[in-house]
Amino acid sequence: MVVVTVVVVQLGLVARGYWSDHKEFAFQMFPESSTWRAEVVRVTADGRRVPVEQAWSGYRWDELVQDRGLRYPSVRHHADAGLDNQLAFLQAALDWVAENTPRDSETRYLEATVTAWHNADPPRVEVLRSPEREASG
Amino acid sequence: MSATLTRLDDLLGRPVSMRALALLRVLAGPAVLLHLQPLLGDTLDGRTYQDGFYEPYAAWYPELPEPVYVALLWLAAVAAVAMSLGFLTRLATATTFAIVAYNMFLSTTHFHNNRAYLILVLGLLAVAPCGRELSLDAWIRRRRGLPALDPTGPGWPLWLLRFECAAVYGASGLSKLTDPDWFGGTVTWQRVVRAREDLEAWPLPDWAVSGLTERSFHTGAAKFIVLTELFIALGLWWRGTRYAAVWIAVVFHLAIEASASVQVFSYLGIAVLVVWAVPSTRDRVLRIDPADARQRRFGALVGRLDWLARFRVEPAAPGSGLQLVDRDGTTIVGAPAVALALSRLPLTAWFTLPALLLPGVRRARRGPGSMPAPVAAKSPAGGR
Repeated sequence: MVVVTVVVVQLGLVARGYWSDHKEFAFQMFPESSTWRAEVVRVTADGRRVPVEQAWSGYRWDELVQDRGLRYPSVRHHADAGLDNQLAFLQAALDWVAENTPRDSETRYLEATVTAWHNADPPRVEVLRSPEREASG
Repeated sequence: MSATLTRLDDLLGRPVSMRALALLRVLAGPAVLLHLQPLLGDTLDGRTYQDGFYEPYAAWYPELPEPVYVALLWLAAVAAVAMSLGFLTRLATATTFAIVAYNMFLSTTHFHNNRAYLILVLGLLAVAPCGRELSLDAWIRRRRGLPALDPTGPGWPLWLLRFECAAVYGASGLSKLTDPDWFGGTVTWQRVVRAREDLEAWPLPDWAVSGLTERSFHTGAAKFIVLTELFIALGLWWRGTRYAAVWIAVVFHLAIEASASVQVFSYLGIAVLVVWAVPSTRDRVLRIDPADARQRRFGALVGRLDWLARFRVEPAAPGSGLQLVDRDGTTIVGAPAVALALSRLPLTAWFTLPALLLPGVRRARRGPGSMPAPVAAKSPAGGR
């Protein structure tokens, strides 16, 4: 019973890897040669768009977000585990920073303008945005 | 249908040697330490995952206070050492598995394929009685004059680990096979072209660099990579292709290690290959003439490197040559016996397996020079 369960679950996770962002236990190694870069800005209550490369309220993006190739988003990077995975992480990072910077009272939300190159396809641009911060303004 | 299920149930429950899992347990400890190294380094600098971006899998998943989390990571390192040494083996292995798994599921950012594989390996080692050999626990029992524990256990953890091992190669190969960009060569070509500067730093002639960055090269190379992964996944299951699959898998992992950063995957991937050894022990006999210094040295070498316990080393009649009695009772003598013996030792197998393809060795293993001997032993799980 244990064996059958593990085998079925493992096969299910392999199948799930074809549509999920993070592909846990799907073992899709080096799935893409895709690359990406993003201009990440803080949009303030007065409408300014401030790049996160500039420190704010004692925070630095490269200290807050160090993992999964997100530390320097403006530099074009390889999407190690695929574009969907990478952009899901970038979205989660925007959300996390928006929620975990309590000293920042001016930012309404964070926004990333992403240019992504899926393998050899032409680039596509999409915009990711964190939820509106409650403490802003 | 029910007869098939009964046979399967019988196969999975049949006691088999846990020697390969014991060896894998020993090898898994360093993989865990390598995995933990950057996390432990961060804790020394006062950092944990909680100090930066992370994304819990589920809101209900328990997060520990930072000091407790740090203590857990260090406990995992201690447990990994104990696991490798085989001290309180079951507890140490279960502890290592529990902490490594807990840590990975703390955040989506902690997930990597190599860590997933490590967790699967640790989980299956934790449920297998793999501490009865190659362990301090066994040594302590001997010192206390207690009888050794049965080194066999139900085969299902071993079979599951084999399944997971094959699944890793199969899933990876299948995902590439079904992706036109991968199978057509676009992915590897672009990766190599972007890494051209790194490639040029290697001691490679210009024509090789040019060739490797040619689009047409990757049209064929990508298919070769995909088919290699699928061959490993399937080839491991059949006796006739198993050694080739293992040999290619080692090359495959070394090539990946040389070309990409995959954390513990290469080491772990090669280590797990030991589970494909037939789960029975001491069912081949190496006969050496104790009066012959070279044979004596070879016998000692085999004794030291026979981590999977393939051989019984026995004295031969004075003046006789080196003899190896294989599982099927075939006796092989001289250089072919040396080649066959070395091909069954984990450390030398990769280097000597190709020698088994030499006509002289093939003839010796099945030709008139080989002799049936009375020590034939049937393998409990098939294969050699």
